Amino acid sequence: MSATHLKLHTAPEVPLETEVINPTVFANLSQSGIENLNVMHGNDKCHLGDFFKVTGKGASEIHIEGDLSGVKLIGAGMSEGKISVEGDVGMHLGVGMSGGEIIVNGNAGDWVGPEMSGGRIIIKKNAGHMIGSAYRGQSTGITGGEIFIHGNAKNEVGSAMRRGLIVVGGNAGDFTGVNMLAGTIIVLGELGIRTGAGMKRGSIVSLQDAPMLPSFDYSCTYHPLFLRLYFSRLRANGFKRKIQDQHITGKYKRYSGDGIELNRGEVLLFAG
Amino acid sequence: MTKEATQTDAQVKNKKPVSKKVDPYEGKNIKIVKDATCTFCGCVCDDMELTVDVDEHRILKAKKACVLGRAWFYEHKVDTRPGVLIDGKEATFQEGVEAAAQILIDAKFPTTYGMSDSTCESQRVTVEIMDTINGNIDTTTSVCHGPSGMAFQGVGESTATLGEVKNRADLVIYWGGNPAESHPRHFTRYAVTPKGMYIPNGKKDRTVVLVDVRRTPSTPVADIFMQVKPGKDFEVLWALRALVKGKKIANDIEKQTGVSREVLDDLVDRMKNCQFGVLFFGMGLTMTRGRHFNSGALLSLAADLNEFTHFVAKPVRGHGNVTGADNVVSWQTGYPFGVNFNRGYPRFNPGEFTTTDVLSRGEADAAMIIASDPASNFPKAAIEHMKKIPIISLDTKDTVTSSIAKVRFAVSTYGINTGGTVYRMDDVPITLRPAFESTYPGDQEVLEAIRDRVKKLLSGKKARVAA
Repeated sequence: MSATHLKLHTAPEVPLETEVINPTVFANLSQSGIENLNVMHGNDKCHLGDFFKVTGKGASEIHIEGDLSGVKLIGAGMSEGKISVEGDVGMHLGVGMSGGEIIVNGNAGDWVGPEMSGGRIIIKKNAGHMIGSAYRGQSTGITGGEIFIHGNAKNEVGSAMRRGLIVVGGNAGDFTGVNMLAGTIIVLGELGIRTGAGMKRGSIVSLQDAPMLPSFDYSCTYHPLFLRLYFSRLRANGFKRKIQDQHITGKYKRYSGDGIELNRGEVLLFAG
Repeated sequence: MTKEATQTDAQVKNKKPVSKKVDPYEGKNIKIVKDATCTFCGCVCDDMELTVDVDEHRILKAKKACVLGRAWFYEHKVDTRPGVLIDGKEATFQEGVEAAAQILIDAKFPTTYGMSDSTCESQRVTVEIMDTINGNIDTTTSVCHGPSGMAFQGVGESTATLGEVKNRADLVIYWGGNPAESHPRHFTRYAVTPKGMYIPNGKKDRTVVLVDVRRTPSTPVADIFMQVKPGKDFEVLWALRALVKGKKIANDIEKQTGVSREVLDDLVDRMKNCQFGVLFFGMGLTMTRGRHFNSGALLSLAADLNEFTHFVAKPVRGHGNVTGADNVVSWQTGYPFGVNFNRGYPRFNPGEFTTTDVLSRGEADAAMIIASDPASNFPKAAIEHMKKIPIISLDTKDTVTSSIAKVRFAVSTYGINTGGTVYRMDDVPITLRPAFESTYPGDQEVLEAIRDRVKKLLSGKKARVAA
């Protein structure tokens, strides 16, 4: 399979903004053409080749190696193909992507897949704040697609999301699903505080108990059938160890909320 | 011993002693500055009367000033420290400007921070410099009411001036602040005791509520004190919002938050039935867990209450012109703080472009700090990074930041030595009336010199590239 390889040879001194790392941009470019793509090193306009060694050919897959924790905007606006990263990545990974797949074998910074509408992002380790969120000042977050975080995530996972699926294998921070409009967030570890504050619709699921806001109302304890579908799919996608049979067959406490808003959202907490 | 002192008691009783008023300022070259402005805190009281010893360059008396204002006015005297230091060595003004300009144009991610104890005119020049060199702009707002700035953007702000509060507010709620110690005249000049157009009896016509996690010196002012468990402000605000909207809340609210249902119901009743309510909030809300959501919850509560009566919310701002910093940066860039010009146009993203973050992550490669001391109060990682990069510091006093600065300018104090405009915490602009001249230039003068030098150096650089 054709793939372009990028290897970091010079670590950026200040944040590097590389929205050009996108299969669509790489299509029909030679190696030197890719090396000559413009990137922003702080306020300095540089070339991709100043930081990365480019080998291989073809745009359907881009493979990147190195510590990219200071590299922002990888896969921004991506609509097709695949990007795989060996190492950590910086902020705004896959911002606004509409298709394709990004896999990171490392940690990710804040704002993973903000305002994405399609495609899939997989982070094998931990991620920062604002996963699958809306940017400040925007009323709508992600409108589609999937984000799988295998480790922990920090605050405001899926803020103002409208559609799509976000899965956190570890723990999530505070305000998970804040101002959520619709969609599904599944946290296999613990939730922080103030889950679902201001949510209108949508589902937030956790395999652990969690403190609920006073405006959320306990509805019942039941077995939600739809979780079977989600969990069996997640088991097939690398979350097998964390999802046990009892989680699939067991009962969940259902809270409806947020009472201040439409009250059509739900938080489902595993009850055994 | 004077003659008067030897008089007998009887004599004193029968005959009024000739009043020989001792003039404490006799022989001194005294100047009275009326309607001077105190720039210590966000109250920006502009009714001071300053008695200034012109020869000695100091303020002898500050009539109407509070305890903080008096300290502010009395402690600013003429300094003898060198005006400019480069690497700790004395240098001329021009050398300092040249070194600062070089640092700024050489940097790939220069950032600026502070500005809240500086005039709007200086802030404007700072923004211009950062716009010119494609740098990063942030102010002390990001570590105080920055979350409120984010909340304004998210949920809006129902607002009023302090004049309206004085004349109309019959329900005054303070949340997460201690104005008796931080803004002493907030109670007496603006919000609690003053008599107003529709509040003829002052405090008697108002109900004052204080919400905090512990009793403070502000508590005795309040008619109602609501003590919230630490870190539970959001839950209480959320419960109040639900009750205002007539929605259900959890039965264990007292266990969760420390506030009983009866107290909440009573407060909701008062809020819905007042004529004009105001929610003042402080850093107890913005700098505790939840930050912008805490401010947002309070602003939303004020907005919700407008369905029943007139209700406003105002942050109680700290530094003298931090409100001006928000206004100027918003006016110039479109955003209040945490603005980045790396790409030539402004981008706003708190968490990404705010100073604590760009320093803690080791991203900024130069910093210009204006009238602020982040090296003494920032997180350790940020301070460690500050020690590694060239710092330009402009400050009225020596600070930890100025001690680690590569280029350090001593500047005069705004409101005492230099005039200009500042914004009160309710976004009302106020003119400064300085008391006496300083031997140091104002920060506006220094910044304008740096700006001019930066522009000149950049035009030369561009010309070389073109050649």
